Amino acid sequence: MRTIFRRAPFQRALGLAWVIPALALVGVFVYLPLVQNFGFSTLKWDIYSGSQEYVGLENYRKLIGDPVFWSSFGNNLLYAVVSIAFQVFGALLLAALVESIRSERWRRGLRAVYFIPSAISLTVAGLLFYFVYEPNLGLLNHALDAVGLGRFGQSWLGQGDTAMLAIIAMSQWQGFGYSTLLFAVAIQRIPSEIYGAAAIDGTGPIRRFVHVTVPLVREMTGLMMMVTISGAFQVFNEVMVMTGGGPDNSTQVLGTWLYRSGFVRNNFGYAAAIATVLFVITLGVAMAQLWVTRRRRVEW
Amino acid sequence: MVSRLGFLGVIARLFMWVFLLGLAVVVLYPLLWMALNGFKTNAELFGNPFALPVDWSFENYRKAWNRGVSNYLTTSVLVTVTSTIATVFVSAWAAYGLTRVNIPFSKAITSVILGGLMLAPTVALVPLVKMFQAMGLYNSFWALLILYTAFRVPFTTFLIRAYMLDLPREVDEAADVDGAGRWTAFWRIILPMCKPIITSTILLHVLFAWNEYLFAMVFTSGSGVQTLPVGLTSLMSKHGTDFPVVFAGMVIAAVPVVLLFFFGQRYIVKGLADGIGK
Amino acid sequence: MRPRALTTFAALAGASVLTLAGCSGGPANAPAADVTAEAEFSGTLSILTKFAGDPLSPYFEDLAAEYERLHPGVKIELIQETDQSVKDKTKTLTASDALPDIYFTWTGNWAENFVRGGRAADLSKVIGPDTPWGRTFSKASLSAFAYDGRYYGIPLYNNGKFMGYNKAAFAKAGVKVPATFEELLSSCPTLRKAGYEPVAFGNKDGWPALHYLQQLFAYTVPEATLQADFRPGTAKLDHPGYVTALKQFKTLVDTCTDTGDGTNGVLYTSAQEAFSRGKAAMYYQEVLEFDNATAGRGLSPDDFGIFPLPVPEGAGGNPKAIEGAPEGYLVNARSPRAALAVDFMKFVTGSKNAEKLSSPPYGQPSTVIGAVTPKTSSKAVFEGIEMVNRAPQLASWLDMVTVPEVADAWLAGGEAVISGDTAPEKVLESVRQASASAK
Repeated sequence: MRTIFRRAPFQRALGLAWVIPALALVGVFVYLPLVQNFGFSTLKWDIYSGSQEYVGLENYRKLIGDPVFWSSFGNNLLYAVVSIAFQVFGALLLAALVESIRSERWRRGLRAVYFIPSAISLTVAGLLFYFVYEPNLGLLNHALDAVGLGRFGQSWLGQGDTAMLAIIAMSQWQGFGYSTLLFAVAIQRIPSEIYGAAAIDGTGPIRRFVHVTVPLVREMTGLMMMVTISGAFQVFNEVMVMTGGGPDNSTQVLGTWLYRSGFVRNNFGYAAAIATVLFVITLGVAMAQLWVTRRRRVEW
Repeated sequence: MVSRLGFLGVIARLFMWVFLLGLAVVVLYPLLWMALNGFKTNAELFGNPFALPVDWSFENYRKAWNRGVSNYLTTSVLVTVTSTIATVFVSAWAAYGLTRVNIPFSKAITSVILGGLMLAPTVALVPLVKMFQAMGLYNSFWALLILYTAFRVPFTTFLIRAYMLDLPREVDEAADVDGAGRWTAFWRIILPMCKPIITSTILLHVLFAWNEYLFAMVFTSGSGVQTLPVGLTSLMSKHGTDFPVVFAGMVIAAVPVVLLFFFGQRYIVKGLADGIGK
Repeated sequence: MRPRALTTFAALAGASVLTLAGCSGGPANAPAADVTAEAEFSGTLSILTKFAGDPLSPYFEDLAAEYERLHPGVKIELIQETDQSVKDKTKTLTASDALPDIYFTWTGNWAENFVRGGRAADLSKVIGPDTPWGRTFSKASLSAFAYDGRYYGIPLYNNGKFMGYNKAAFAKAGVKVPATFEELLSSCPTLRKAGYEPVAFGNKDGWPALHYLQQLFAYTVPEATLQADFRPGTAKLDHPGYVTALKQFKTLVDTCTDTGDGTNGVLYTSAQEAFSRGKAAMYYQEVLEFDNATAGRGLSPDDFGIFPLPVPEGAGGNPKAIEGAPEGYLVNARSPRAALAVDFMKFVTGSKNAEKLSSPPYGQPSTVIGAVTPKTSSKAVFEGIEMVNRAPQLASWLDMVTVPEVADAWLAGGEAVISGDTAPEKVLESVRQASASAK
């Protein structure tokens, strides 16, 4: 059947018309800025006068000595670790629990309910949780009060030691339903005969989860891990809405520090240098993903 | 069944249900609180947060609507609809070219387009600002349309391509026998066959475009071109002491996508499963 | 995606880096705006204001509508932002070369950046102190926007920071207006016992803390030292008064606010609300906020009083200094409609509109001579602006008077002092570092 496709070279080149719009868009607006960014990161660039001065690797040198850069990086890492715990392993466990329910109606209903926060935007979720955490009118402090734990109430977003965790907690609330849904789909794809066989063997639900479910959704788990890590390094929206990086830069992440360095501190070259770091990290995660997937393919 | 599970099994089931339903409450209660707060007065809001609104009037919703939410909503709808159409068509074309047409450098082109999946928008932010400023498109509807399309083409192409790869080759042969050109074959045969995945990509793109914040924040400034997520933060800062109005605005922003999801859940799940499962 | 595809991608990306890395553009240089030309009454005039939200937004809306009626060919496009959002907005617009024809500015380094960057039109010929338009403004307000003897800004209103207090609350608690900072501190427990939050304070956005700090710095650090320290080139930031002031501020937060070290999680508008609804006895506020504080949410104008932040004992700076500065507008140096922009601003600062601005509900004390009188303005606004006018030293906002990097270090520092995570000495050290790196 390949013969049908064999045309004159001109005809063949004409086929490129199908992909040119996509290529052009991605090339100009996704790849070109990426490349330009390396150039910008070697500049001292003043937004007011627009003057640009070549400073070589000065911005990168500054980056290494900048404590806020490192604490931002640390916050991104924390984000990744917590998200893996909740949105990968937690979600997998939750999906298995939900899928073990016999009633189809309940299964579907719970999955849908858990997903709702993922449908609303991070901006709405962030604003909502700003109020949940607010010390005066906030839901959380009042709820603690109601169950007699009022002494634990505090200004959640106003203190360096709780603010980052509070934001991360919001993001788990917002995102766990999405990954649960994906794991549920992966579990549904496991042939029912395998579960049937396990049931006949008299395997308990816990062993069944460990020995059947987990290995068979391994690929999805790997993928979710990479997506989660990559997402954790691109965090921006919720931090911007809830704290703007404060107090005392304690909730700054790479994305918000980039924004602040460029747009607020008038240092676009430095912002570009942070962007380069972000690029290296996300690229590294993507490479790791490809490498892991390839190894799996070879094994099987 | 229960008897076979035994006493421990019953306890375990009970705990499971308490946990699952408790989680549902944790998810739903803040959302319910948000909707209820839209009906309260400021004094009520600062009082007992668990109390129900005294007066169920839509006054705050009306205020929010008049204080710019109607504009934000219009812009959001416009940007979402146009960028969805642009993204889905550009991606479907590309996916078709890459899977069903014999074109040169097909492998390289595939990697370039799908490679875009790996690149974070934040990384491109500074150069993009410069670029749109030079093109005179800063603070315009076009900036968002172009960016939302360009940055979502890789993902959308990825999903549609995966689906098209699975379509049988005979389809093209049949089209060729009929003498239909590639163009006709695409519109008449392939695209209709891809309806399930197209639906999924549309829904996923709508979710993205409706909720996007970074680009919307940096690339728009006038109220005529601000989308809901950015508009809500400015509603918050402009009417900072009138919190119930902010809550009402949040509800207005959230309701359309939640509804959309409820009706389209099946497609979203299937699309993601088909695409990512590969 | 397949692994093979990735290597190809990496190769492609790598290759393009080499060819394109060097490309970058300089700023576009449009011809300078001619502000003295005859205004042509056509086209769209864009204005970035700081008057978004209640009750301020109608001011420019009404003026724009009236101006459009007077000149049917002109369309006015308003971009109204708030005190908080206008900062990021202005910088984003600047970075994208998309500044409107007329834009809001503070004094100090904030305005200087636009002048230095060639983005503010030189208005000396139309608003210099000896021009007909210039003579309508107070001299001090004009020179607040002057750089190297040239006048760039159109001052719109004057501003200063005062402690607003609830007279009824003070009477109920039996507290007198404090004469010293120490008295202020000791009055707080009494007010709390009477059922009030002594001082409402929200520092989510960082700058409210800087307002306390700058006033305390002006009290404890001599003016010459302070001025030198604002500029990275001459800054030493080693006067002991800074640490003293930071400590005094921390004591105030711990003693007088209910939110204490959690104050960074509270919006300043929530604090304003607590004061306006009579829940809090005091709230440190700008003259601009006075009329809004008494706009009928509980606190009546008769119960509203103001006093400058009391001076700490033994302060080595100027005890008569008041924190405040005029605020105004710049005309975009590259605006093709600069003359029209000037004409519109003349309209805005005409005596009728200046009086309207100075009176409730706006309560923004105009810089136009004779616009603020006991008749036009509310009692508190008049009283406050009189004190600002009489003050021998005005200290401008700390986050505006310094360069952006130093301002940002102060913002983080103020938050750090409140939460108590960082010692005042360390905070000052971080500001010193920011200042050194901004040289």
